[in-house]
Amino acid sequence: MALVEVKGVSKRFGGLTAVSDVDLTVNAGEVHCLIGPNGAGKSTLFKLIVGLYPPSQGSILFDTVDITAERPYARVQRGMSIKMQAPSVFKELPVRQNIQIALQERLSGAERIAEEDRLLTLLNLGPDSDKLAGALSHGQQQWLEIGMALALKPQLLLLDEPTAGMSPEETFKTGELIKSFNAEGMTVLVVEHDMAFVRQVAQRVTVLHLGKIFARGDLESILQDAKVAEIYLGKTHAH
Amino acid sequence: MSAEVFSVFYQFADVFAFLILSAAGLAIVFGMMGVINMAHGEFIMCGAYVTVGLVNLGVPLAIAQILAALTAGLIGVAVEFLIVRRFYKRPLDSLLATWGLSLIVTQSMLLIVGSAVRGIGTPEGSFAIGGYTFSTYRLVLFGCAVAVLGGLYIVFMKTRFGVIARATMQNAAMAKALGARTGRIYSISFGIGTGLAGLCGALYAPTMTLIPTMGATFVVESFVTVVIGGANVLLGTAPAAVFLAIIRMALNASYGQIIGQIGMLVAVILIIRVLPEGLSSVLVRRGR
Amino acid sequence: MFKLLEGPQTLGRGKIFWSCFLAVLAGALTYPLFADSYDVGNFAYFLIWIFMALGLCLMWGYGGMLSFGQTLFFGIAGYGYGVLAINMGGGTATIAALALSVVLAMVAAGILGYFMIWGGINGIFFGIVTLSATLVLAFFLGQTAGPEWHIGPARLNGFNGMKGMDPLAVGDFYIEGSALYYVMIALIVIVYLALRMLVNSGIGNVIVATRENPQRAEMLGYDVRKYQLLTFVIGSGLAGLSGALYTSWGQFITPSSIGLPAAAMPIVWVAFSGRSDLTATLVGSFLLLFGFQTITVYSQQAALVLMGALLLATVMLAPQGFVLGIGKLAADWWSGRRPRDDGAVMAEAGRLQSEES
Repeated sequence: MALVEVKGVSKRFGGLTAVSDVDLTVNAGEVHCLIGPNGAGKSTLFKLIVGLYPPSQGSILFDTVDITAERPYARVQRGMSIKMQAPSVFKELPVRQNIQIALQERLSGAERIAEEDRLLTLLNLGPDSDKLAGALSHGQQQWLEIGMALALKPQLLLLDEPTAGMSPEETFKTGELIKSFNAEGMTVLVVEHDMAFVRQVAQRVTVLHLGKIFARGDLESILQDAKVAEIYLGKTHAH
Repeated sequence: MSAEVFSVFYQFADVFAFLILSAAGLAIVFGMMGVINMAHGEFIMCGAYVTVGLVNLGVPLAIAQILAALTAGLIGVAVEFLIVRRFYKRPLDSLLATWGLSLIVTQSMLLIVGSAVRGIGTPEGSFAIGGYTFSTYRLVLFGCAVAVLGGLYIVFMKTRFGVIARATMQNAAMAKALGARTGRIYSISFGIGTGLAGLCGALYAPTMTLIPTMGATFVVESFVTVVIGGANVLLGTAPAAVFLAIIRMALNASYGQIIGQIGMLVAVILIIRVLPEGLSSVLVRRGR
Repeated sequence: MFKLLEGPQTLGRGKIFWSCFLAVLAGALTYPLFADSYDVGNFAYFLIWIFMALGLCLMWGYGGMLSFGQTLFFGIAGYGYGVLAINMGGGTATIAALALSVVLAMVAAGILGYFMIWGGINGIFFGIVTLSATLVLAFFLGQTAGPEWHIGPARLNGFNGMKGMDPLAVGDFYIEGSALYYVMIALIVIVYLALRMLVNSGIGNVIVATRENPQRAEMLGYDVRKYQLLTFVIGSGLAGLSGALYTSWGQFITPSSIGLPAAAMPIVWVAFSGRSDLTATLVGSFLLLFGFQTITVYSQQAALVLMGALLLATVMLAPQGFVLGIGKLAADWWSGRRPRDDGAVMAEAGRLQSEES
């Protein structure tokens, strides 16, 4: 069953068309990766799904409801949860309070404190829970933000390059974490260009190129797709 | 008939000149540095007092006015160097610092000069069209407002300083990396801004009572014009002034000054709901 | 619920803090017993302004919204109380006039706040739009000298201001002098403790989260605009409470308590005290009001010059506020002796240091 349906969505900035007539379906229960070379329009598409931009054309459905005109907070209340690309935490508040702000609508009292402890331990942030979030390392801030996104216990977890700035070990642990939440029934949409990470977590993959859908399918078929390899190799050559 | 048309134009020109002259200096400082100079009204007051002081010493009015604008500009450069410079990364703090300065200046003036200063009276001269009489000086003010806009256009679009200043406005770090002395650009821009405030005070000095708190008369108009106009003086402030002048003129004519001012404020509050980035965002977008 | 009296958003916790609090309160309550009534009246006068300062502290320090409109709502409620008290007659109706005038200020704040917050106005522009509205109200009231400007029997009276309303009263008993003083003390205790509970509650969490990073707060499912509006309405309502109490205290109000330089005063108190903490604002504002009043007796201009200089000095030397800075030093010294509180104080200090970024 489709949890997210992006139907014929385009986004233009002045003369630039960042996303052009894109259709995308994320099924309930899957880990779906959105990949593509730099400038493919991945982040723009992500922001359209999240509600940070209104699309120039097309519509976006969540759980069969049209959410195209809804602001981000309303989408979150419907069961989405979002982690943006750059770590975005409440830097001048303690780590635990960051988690608390994410949890407080769902749990209260002793239950909430137990869940805070559980998440902090899960994210290896237990010893730093009284530190200010801004004092954490870049990788730890990414973890904290993933923790805040998970605290909402969403139906759909949206992650924009969650492993940026993480070491390979941290990246691997993040992947395992995502898989474990998926095993409990959470749907995940990840924008990512680290292919090792995509191999680790993805079940289905959509490839964007120059603002359009370039290919889509299960992980295996995309990995073996020669054309996909080519646009990625092209990117490698360009470097 | 043409007398009525001219009368409407005259009223428009009067309000427009007031808006442009009181806002131009504030808008330049905001546009260049993102700083709202809360002591803007005090630079206007400074311009007015210097003008009146010089005229009372026997200096011809026009020369006194130019000297007053220069004085305000130089004081502005000093204020930038001593205070504002520290706060470019903390725009809210620059607001507070200049507000503190404004309090110090106004109240010290009240202590030292007292509240009453002998005025110099509006330059005589009027002309009649149809059955209406118009003050020539009011048209001179309109001419000055247009000249200020023209002068700013030339300075910012046609001179080397203007090119560097606009580059600094767009991306200060980049301009600095390319060798622009951004510190000096900021000093000069602040000086131009306060100089224009001084000019405003100098030009209106003959038309009003001089009191140390006279700056407050101008700040509402200058604030709302900048709020609507956004960061771009030429593309923002000028059209904002046209727009606000039309509203103000219509309300002034039917209901009087104070309702005109209230109406202008209400219009501004409604506009920010619809156009959060100000009028210039619409104009710039259309221009592309 | 009382657990919320202490929390990450407020300085001061534990037995020692609350013992000090009770000691100060006891001192305040016994003060009229050994002071003459003139001094008690003066004291009550300082206390009037505390609400306005606490309201600004909530909006600016906690919510990150620098409103220059405290005297706007002070004026709306102050004139509102006058008009209502004159129209409804004296006696117990004045209590209703007080409540209604505060509601009036909150409704006005709701309308202005809606347009600004939904219009995405923040930072500097929030300040100058609120200040513009404040000055326009002051100019307007200054123009209402003529007899045509009246609401019922209440004349607005231009620059000379409105007068002739009854002070707060219950039946035949006028709440003046010591009685008014005790009412003020009670209100301040209630407002101070209620604000502590608010900022340490879930709502307070969202308010500070919005100050820190509005987009992140929205991405956690909060409609941050509603929280900002709530903050603005409460903060402005407290300014309204000050205004209504002021009119009742002196039985007059003039446009000069709305316009410049009055509008700058709450900013000076809160900036000097330390906007990020309610207790610092409470203590600092009281000290400044006391000092200001002492100097005003000799020269009002000199007192205002001093206020301007204090604002300038605060921004240049101690952007987080002088009272808070001294309080932090004291807390550091204390925690040096008692390591138990170390983490909390560090978290607090860090929060304050990095606030500017």
